[in-house]
Amino acid sequence: MTSLQPKMWGERKLPPYVLLLFPSVTFMVLMYAWPFISSVLQSFFISGKEGGVTLANYVKVWELYRKDIAFTFAVTIFNTFLVGVVAVIFSVYFRLRQNRVSALLSAIFKLPIFIPFVVVSQMMNSFLAPHGLLNTALAQLGLVNLDKPLQLFNFAGLSFGFAWKQIPFAVLIIHGGFQMIDNSYIEAARSIGAKLPSVILRVLVPMNKSSIIVALVLVYSQIIGTFTLPYMLIGGKVPTTITVDIAHRVNYFRDFGVANALGVCSYIMVLLTAAYYLRSKIKEARQEVSQ
Amino acid sequence: MKRKSIAMAFLLIVAFGFLAVQGAFAQKSRLVFMTAGDVNMLALGQNVFAPGFMAENPNVQVITIHTGPGNAGSQTIYEKLLAEKKANKAAGDVDVALVHEIFMKWTMDQDLLQPYAQMTNTWKYVTSPFAKTSLGINVEGYVMPLFQSQTAIAYNPDYVKNPPKSYAELKEWVKKNPGKFGYNGIKGGASGVAFVMGWVYAETGKYKKYAVTGPFEKAEVDSWEPAYKALKEFNKNIVITAGNVGTLDALNRGEIWMGPVWVDMFFTFMNEGKMDPKMRLALPEPGMPGQPMFFVIPKNAPNPELSRKFIEYVTSPKIQANEIVIRFNWYPGIDGSALKGSIPQEVFDKIYRDVTPADLQKKGLAFPLADYYNAMLEAYERWAQ
Repeated sequence: MTSLQPKMWGERKLPPYVLLLFPSVTFMVLMYAWPFISSVLQSFFISGKEGGVTLANYVKVWELYRKDIAFTFAVTIFNTFLVGVVAVIFSVYFRLRQNRVSALLSAIFKLPIFIPFVVVSQMMNSFLAPHGLLNTALAQLGLVNLDKPLQLFNFAGLSFGFAWKQIPFAVLIIHGGFQMIDNSYIEAARSIGAKLPSVILRVLVPMNKSSIIVALVLVYSQIIGTFTLPYMLIGGKVPTTITVDIAHRVNYFRDFGVANALGVCSYIMVLLTAAYYLRSKIKEARQEVSQ
Repeated sequence: MKRKSIAMAFLLIVAFGFLAVQGAFAQKSRLVFMTAGDVNMLALGQNVFAPGFMAENPNVQVITIHTGPGNAGSQTIYEKLLAEKKANKAAGDVDVALVHEIFMKWTMDQDLLQPYAQMTNTWKYVTSPFAKTSLGINVEGYVMPLFQSQTAIAYNPDYVKNPPKSYAELKEWVKKNPGKFGYNGIKGGASGVAFVMGWVYAETGKYKKYAVTGPFEKAEVDSWEPAYKALKEFNKNIVITAGNVGTLDALNRGEIWMGPVWVDMFFTFMNEGKMDPKMRLALPEPGMPGQPMFFVIPKNAPNPELSRKFIEYVTSPKIQANEIVIRFNWYPGIDGSALKGSIPQEVFDKIYRDVTPADLQKKGLAFPLADYYNAMLEAYERWAQ
């Protein structure tokens, strides 16, 4: 570690890299660190009233929104898992079958990445509605009775929307990682008799672990922070997601205290994965150094 | 040589052109109109008010700025004015603002607005009680209503022959027709909020105290538990839709047979072909809330006279009839009698067919006072979920 210390540290002169770091660090502090800290601080004060530090906002969060927090967590974990599994399967397909069909599919597959969440939400809204496109199409096939259609403005529909939007994004990252793995590894495994599942589970996935984790961490934190899709699909339902509750506290009550306390709950959820991600990165870096 | 002089001439023309354009702009005075509300309010400002006003006042440039839907949109305007005040800005940026009722609660004790309404030449048409008291606060002189929007229950007459005349009848209807009534809860838009407020008025019978006279008492809030428990029971037999538009869409697609809507959105959907024209409206006893949107002039408005002129234009009977009622299907901000003769009979009949002016007078309620309003929303989360 000591080798990382700059030699000029003892002298009074500022090393030149401080100058280079200054703009980016200032930007990070002003635009990310400060809002984050101030949000955490505000969660301990009652909005619009004088008074000292209090846990009242957290008490209210517990009383009114604990179901929503659990729901958000469940939706996020489930979808991260779903997106991870499906994205790995697609990426493996695109990696191992390189022909015109897979090229075309992979091009079409990139489309959802460029569609904003608000558009996806509107689309899902009319697609998944009780008399929406999906249900009427299924009714035409005789699979669904329109008097008792599939109810999809709930966990299932929300998951469908998240998966539709996030799987292509995860594929983009994971497939990129698979491309870096040389064919010789796969051929070697096959030549000693490995079948496709073991090629995937014992060669491709372990060798690509880091990009899979990156994809999952990004998908996880995006799902926790998404407002439009839950708002437009299950807005007024119970339970709903934290983001809808935050908007509700701010829009109707101007209550930044409780809104920030809800925010802190979502930061904690995100920090869990971020901590895991950082730890694995540090471990990797240490391994590289020791090699 | 020749080429050089052509280039020279071209440069000169560009330079003069630039100066001329700048001069033209410099002579025009600027009017900044800031509006809260949904994107329809932006369209209203940009496509209707601004061109109309500029046609009558060619040396004015109207700039419409949109801050977003719901109370949050009004809040942005409030924060802007408050920031200008804290910075001691003598001449502010905003000439006219269009805001929700709750805005008045935030601003009236902050000395951010100027009294102007009595000075306008359209003040004589203003008869709405909302222009005097709003959410229990005296706002007379500080506001001019642009329109009144009202909530009501929309229904599909194919399935609902006799729409419920009261909240009590609605309860019975829902028991007999589970899953056929839909509203958007309290987090998906204000038509659901209005339905819940109407529910509390109906269950407690204390509309006057909660919405007009006050005062706010904590004991009242505690007395609502049975009302909300009843709503929780009611909610078991209904569906929660995906927002204001969600209720309208679900009604149009036949997923639900009945649901609370904003009357103006309902008619606009019909005009745009997004709503089956056979759908009807009903306003159950004791009534449902509606709200106006208000014009205000900030205390530090740079051109108060121009601001007034703009508001006079928009609250004139001509604009109220053609744009507010005929085009956008709101109830007018000024007295309906001033519009007589300006509105074609069929439009009048359509808008007032199910909900008559007499119904509006009697059952067009106000939203509760701000403290009760917040308490009712939170009580919903506490007891009805």
